[in-house]
Amino acid sequence: MTSDRTPIRFAARLAVAVFALLLAAPLVAEGGAPGARALIEETVVEVLGILRDDSRTEAKRRADLEALAEQRFDFRTMSRLVLARNWKRLSAEEQEEFVVEFTQYLANDYGERIERYDQEEVEILGEQAEPRGDVTVKTKIVGGENDGALVAYRMRKRGEEWKIIDVVIEGISMVANFRDQFRDVMGREGPSALLGKLREKNAKESMPADA
Amino acid sequence: MRRACAGLALLALVSAVGGGARADEEVALPLVQADVDEREAQDGGGASKDPWEGMNRKIFAFNEGVDRWFLEPVATGWDWAVPEPVQRSIGNFFDNLWLPVRFANDALQLKPRDAYETLWRAVINSTVGIGGLFDPASAWTVVKSDEDFGQTLGAWGVPPGPYLVLPLLGPSSPRDTVGLVVDRAGYVPSYFVPFYVSLSAAGTDIVNERAGALEDIRAEREAAFDFYTAVRSAFIQYRENRVRDRADDPAEDEDEDGLYYYEDEDDF
Repeated sequence: MTSDRTPIRFAARLAVAVFALLLAAPLVAEGGAPGARALIEETVVEVLGILRDDSRTEAKRRADLEALAEQRFDFRTMSRLVLARNWKRLSAEEQEEFVVEFTQYLANDYGERIERYDQEEVEILGEQAEPRGDVTVKTKIVGGENDGALVAYRMRKRGEEWKIIDVVIEGISMVANFRDQFRDVMGREGPSALLGKLREKNAKESMPADA
Repeated sequence: MRRACAGLALLALVSAVGGGARADEEVALPLVQADVDEREAQDGGGASKDPWEGMNRKIFAFNEGVDRWFLEPVATGWDWAVPEPVQRSIGNFFDNLWLPVRFANDALQLKPRDAYETLWRAVINSTVGIGGLFDPASAWTVVKSDEDFGQTLGAWGVPPGPYLVLPLLGPSSPRDTVGLVVDRAGYVPSYFVPFYVSLSAAGTDIVNERAGALEDIRAEREAAFDFYTAVRSAFIQYRENRVRDRADDPAEDEDEDGLYYYEDEDDF
């Protein structure tokens, strides 16, 4: 015990600690926030932790997943990307409402589906720089029914933090898929119809979930 | 092999086999010409790749009807009656029969490594895997080839052409339709077994495959704002990605397409 306090020992410990910090440094990008890849790694661990925690009720698991998604995704950017040029056809209030409703819609839809993924593991394959500073983090699902499926996360830096702005499953971009659908609805029926559909879907979803 | 893809990818493929989806009410509504022009002006994906949309939507609605009233109920019964491991073995069995076609397409795309692995997969699964019922090869070989002749044509530089929905067979393109016909012609068992056996085998394969996607397709239908468009968008992206061999998106495409950028982005 006391020998630990000798100056030599103390210096050795300090050296080890500094060395460990240096090793850890690449994992932590500028400003102390984790890099894109580390963030996805962390998120995967958290999501699987929630999915596999039987001590939480289903409703609790869902709420925890939603709270996590709220931190990790940039739903405002996603809203603008899926609406593309049509964003400007919405009034300021409609834009705000769209962001809220679309976020809720994604939460309902994916929250329900992800419940079935508790058997899978996720392998991080690597990351790739994209134009204008974005980063794509590539992952692969291991095990389960979708063994081998490639899932990529498009990340953008918002302030200090990386945020997910698209999920690309086997080459199918979620943003592109919704953009194509919303363009059809906006072209045929206009903004208020699109908002109406979103509200309708969300209302339908929230009823059984509360019961 | 179709099991190796998630969510929408699964949907796109299973639709391609089993044929389609229920039509939303708005499917039949005619498009105003001005909207079509505006849509086409907007970006490269989706609408501009579907000049036959009117006809495609009708066929899609028909396929949806067939699925809703026939295939889905049958597959639901199948899923209830046939245990999961048996379903998996049936899927493996049919996958194994297609391996010669995969091998030929690996070779035609000049991918010796994939061709070699496909050959080994066929040998291992046909022997150790008892005629293809089991898939021990997946534990040993790296590449699970999913090449078809549509992709081979793509690799040779043939463009897919417009989006095309085939009756019963589902989403496709002129290129992939040619691919389907060529792959079918190369499917060895059809030359060795009587016609009615082939037919009932194909039926079993389709029902079994559809049974594996009951929940996925139900979820996609429920979630979609316009199911026709959702499937089209997913299918086109999925096939492009397959032809690229799941490699990375070329960056220049992305800038043209503008998928990830919007005006005032820098105001953030």
